[in-house]
Amino acid sequence: MNFQRTTWLIIPAVGAVATFQTVSGPWLTVNGVRPDLVLLIVIARSLIAGRRDGTLWGFVGGLWMDIFSGGPIGASSLALMAVALLTGVGHNAVFRRNLFVPLIATLLGSGVFSLIYVAILAMAGYRFPADLLFTEVVGPVLLYNGILMFLATPLLNRIPEQTEFA
Amino acid sequence: MWSPLYLCMTPMRNSDPRGWTVADFVVRLVILALTAVLLLTLQQTGRLGSLESLVSLAITPGQSGLAVLTNRISGSLTTLRDFRDLQQRVAELERVNQSLIFETLRLTEVERENQQLRELLGFAQTHASFELRSGQIIARVIGHGSNNFLNFVMVDLGAQHGIKVGMPVLNAQGLVGRINSVTDTTAQVLLVTDPSSIVNAILQASRLTGVVGGVPGLDPVMGFIPQGSNVGVGEVVLTSGLGGNFPKGIPIGQVVEVRQRDFEVFQEAVVRPLVNFGRLEFVMIVTNFDPLYTSEE
Repeated sequence: MNFQRTTWLIIPAVGAVATFQTVSGPWLTVNGVRPDLVLLIVIARSLIAGRRDGTLWGFVGGLWMDIFSGGPIGASSLALMAVALLTGVGHNAVFRRNLFVPLIATLLGSGVFSLIYVAILAMAGYRFPADLLFTEVVGPVLLYNGILMFLATPLLNRIPEQTEFA
Repeated sequence: MWSPLYLCMTPMRNSDPRGWTVADFVVRLVILALTAVLLLTLQQTGRLGSLESLVSLAITPGQSGLAVLTNRISGSLTTLRDFRDLQQRVAELERVNQSLIFETLRLTEVERENQQLRELLGFAQTHASFELRSGQIIARVIGHGSNNFLNFVMVDLGAQHGIKVGMPVLNAQGLVGRINSVTDTTAQVLLVTDPSSIVNAILQASRLTGVVGGVPGLDPVMGFIPQGSNVGVGEVVLTSGLGGNFPKGIPIGQVVEVRQRDFEVFQEAVVRPLVNFGRLEFVMIVTNFDPLYTSEE
């Protein structure tokens, strides 16, 4: 497979997911929170193909998210790349043999994403009440993302694992 | 015993010593004819009624069963003959059904959109002082914020339609937010539920003023309400016009909870917005209102 050629496919592929997340947000909302589909895709990609590929997906996905979200451009990219670096640890054999690795990766990844993103927002001048932010947004989002990833794990396990490119 | 019928029905055997003659045939024919005439006479004179009933009673079940069987066979043969035609008709009816379903859905959507536009038109007529973007007075919501930390929507009007940062955004229910950023063809609306949104407000009944701000994941809160006055649950919250960011008198929401503690300088009220932000499809942008301050200026 020609890496240089297929890499460009990440842009429309992740863009489609981000667009779907933007358009379908109200219908996916449960108790005021919606799932981070782009985040889940990046985590899945990191688990399947490793942290290098995952960070690329995170970068592109983050840009798409920032375009749609109205937040500082690049904030989501940074947060998603950090998530990909973290969750890429679950790549290879461990991922294949343990049902809970994607779940744990999602919970950790969602937490790290929230922390980094909120920190960047705070630096950009946004002000959030920290206690409510974590009890009313971050906590429920972690749960929502975790449930979705747990449900998607059987599907994820059908995707052939890929070695990291040099 | 000899009877006419017996004579008629008795087979003529080759072993019959008398042989088969013309006379025998004529006799039998005459006997049969006479029998027929007799039966006809008896029937016509009504003397065969009981016998007819008896025979009818005996054969009716068989007749009925046979009729049913015949009908079924006939029906099956007809069905087989018409099977191809029926298949074509079913396919045709399915196509018609599909198109009707699609048409029904389309008309339902048109009806709903029509209703929303009528509501917005009604709002525009009852708020004649607002100059709403005409020609395309109504902006269509084309996207919602893609993460859980920021509450924005995107609309399909932008700078080339005269939209500017800071313009208030409404719908028929009340205040939606204000324009936060603009491109040539789209604009981003900061919703009143966003934590960075601040709206000066007034309680309609008690006339107390305060500031409505978004809270992550929860309903907005109206703070800075002076102590000493009772705030009622259910009171309507309107924009106060103070600060010059929004026109006065736009409904924001209703008070659903009051937080009053004697040791605090101000009391707070939780405000449930009148606008259903999860179902925003159309909004109106007030274009003749110049906000005194916008974050991008």
